[in-house]
Amino acid sequence: MADRVERLTNLLALLLETPEPLSLVQIAGELSGQYPESQTARRAAFERDKAALREIGVPIEQEIIGGSDAGQTRYWIARDRYELAGLDLDDDEMRALQVALAATRPGSSSAQDALWKLGGGVIDRGATVVANLPDAAELPTLREAVSTRRTVAFRYHDLDRAVDPWGLLLRDGYWYLIGFDHERGERRTYRIDRIDGDVSIDPDREPFERPADFDPRTAFPDDPKMIGADATAPDALVRIDASRAAAVVRDLGSDRVRRELDGGAVEVAVPCANVPAFRSWLLGHLEHAEVLEPAAVRDDVVAFLEAALA
Amino acid sequence: MSAARRGPRGAEDRLRRLLVMLPWLMERGEVPVAEAAQRFDLTEAEIAKDLELVAMCGLPPFVDELIDVFIDDGMIWVGVPRLFTRPLRLNAVEAWELLAAGRAAMELRGADADGPLGRGLAKLAAALGDDDTSGVRIDLDRPDAANTLADAVERGEQMRITYVSPARDDVTERLVLPRQVFTDRGEWYVTADDERSGEVRTFRIDRIETIEPTGLTPTPSSDPLPVPGSWFTDGSIPRVTVRLAPPAHWVIERYPHDDTSDPDDDGWVTATLPVVSEPWFTRLLVRLGPDADVVEPSEWQNTARAATERVLARYRRS
Repeated sequence: MADRVERLTNLLALLLETPEPLSLVQIAGELSGQYPESQTARRAAFERDKAALREIGVPIEQEIIGGSDAGQTRYWIARDRYELAGLDLDDDEMRALQVALAATRPGSSSAQDALWKLGGGVIDRGATVVANLPDAAELPTLREAVSTRRTVAFRYHDLDRAVDPWGLLLRDGYWYLIGFDHERGERRTYRIDRIDGDVSIDPDREPFERPADFDPRTAFPDDPKMIGADATAPDALVRIDASRAAAVVRDLGSDRVRRELDGGAVEVAVPCANVPAFRSWLLGHLEHAEVLEPAAVRDDVVAFLEAALA
Repeated sequence: MSAARRGPRGAEDRLRRLLVMLPWLMERGEVPVAEAAQRFDLTEAEIAKDLELVAMCGLPPFVDELIDVFIDDGMIWVGVPRLFTRPLRLNAVEAWELLAAGRAAMELRGADADGPLGRGLAKLAAALGDDDTSGVRIDLDRPDAANTLADAVERGEQMRITYVSPARDDVTERLVLPRQVFTDRGEWYVTADDERSGEVRTFRIDRIETIEPTGLTPTPSSDPLPVPGSWFTDGSIPRVTVRLAPPAHWVIERYPHDDTSDPDDDGWVTATLPVVSEPWFTRLLVRLGPDADVVEPSEWQNTARAATERVLARYRRS
């Protein structure tokens, strides 16, 4: 039997060249001697080849026919759907994309395949500035759905969701999806790495309309301690030891300083509406930070520490 | 991805490579084997094997005539092309890789919408049916110091920095030769030859308090740079196994880990984490409080306890 690459190449050529869709019997006849004789083995080998070609990205069309051969499937490849549309990239544009891939996707084999398809060379290593973008298997499908305005279905926090994906945002090292949740009837933000299982495009819904002024960046709370919190809640007053003061003031901004003490310690106002997030930030400074007020938050911190020792 | 280190190639990989290589060869007609090998990251023997194979492909009645290609005297020759003259379209993953990479690179320095990257990206987006950029936004939040350090990499200039060491909680002055600036998981880092330790070290840029040029351009060390994303996975780093309650599950999402168990009936999972810095891990355990239990090594139970008691003492004192 022929080498598998040879058989796959011949199958690809046959489906591209055929003037009309072909059944498996016809395909095996054209590629004589390349598929097994037995019907079961032949079907299994063909299914494997079809899956391999689709995995590579070859769009294989199929139709189930009626009439005397009812139920039989026929296959073909539409050349205009197979071929990459001419991008007509200028040399400097190609080089810029190549540099972009070197800076953000070094070592990614799909990025390399993509660049080769566009006519570029091997992606370099060792760029001066590198952005390591987090990966998630759902992102290509979500991007397609955002761009074609198709509703997606996925599972999140143990609920099945139907969401109009308005946009994707990478911020603070995480990918977020922002969109309209059909069940809840409102805009929601989802962390993509917390999506449970696959994302699928819902074929039955009409393309949605996205609000004209939508921008994912403005649809997102700035301070992570404010996610899920009431913006009008009072701040906590926290004393920071001198050893940590400079770094904390740099992080929070000098407008958060309420008092400067002798010896370099400072008292700062910090949002505490989301108590677990606030506590986690505070304890990151160990004994170099102490929440002074409100009393309820101070009591909560003490109770949390005592529970850890219990 | 170098050809030398790869294992045997599967049929799908070989075909995938052929389908990008053939259009490129056909456009040129004749190409040195060595040039094609370098461009497509294959050995010359691999190229020869694959091209001889496709030269034998054919459909009746024109067996052996599908792809007219042969190798002679170190050159690849391609006859009149009929099939495979254009590359295969981009699949969803490749389209995503290109767009995400391009848009991320627009957030790096030196890119502008009218420059080559901006123009290339616009053509790509149009071909993929993306009518705008507001569907995918990438915020890399690049600090000014990252630009200063990237310039130093370009010039090969040593810099004097003061650095707040997160592990020891002290400030040191260091002479560093920056070699690469990178961002990962929302933080910016610089990897540099560190004169003090004589090693390649990675520093978090937000912990650098001051940067000054020295005017010196020493020869960079020959030590390799760590591959971003893989510098957490060094097997020589000690491991700690902890049980985490549901409110502490963010740890698994946030930090690299070797493996995790399925949740038990109360939702606790057991995870093994590399501990790059003892003070960092101590702080983490204090922050997690009653939501984390160290399984092993058991010394960590005492370390966490002692640190928690120090914090609590501060509240009892006043």
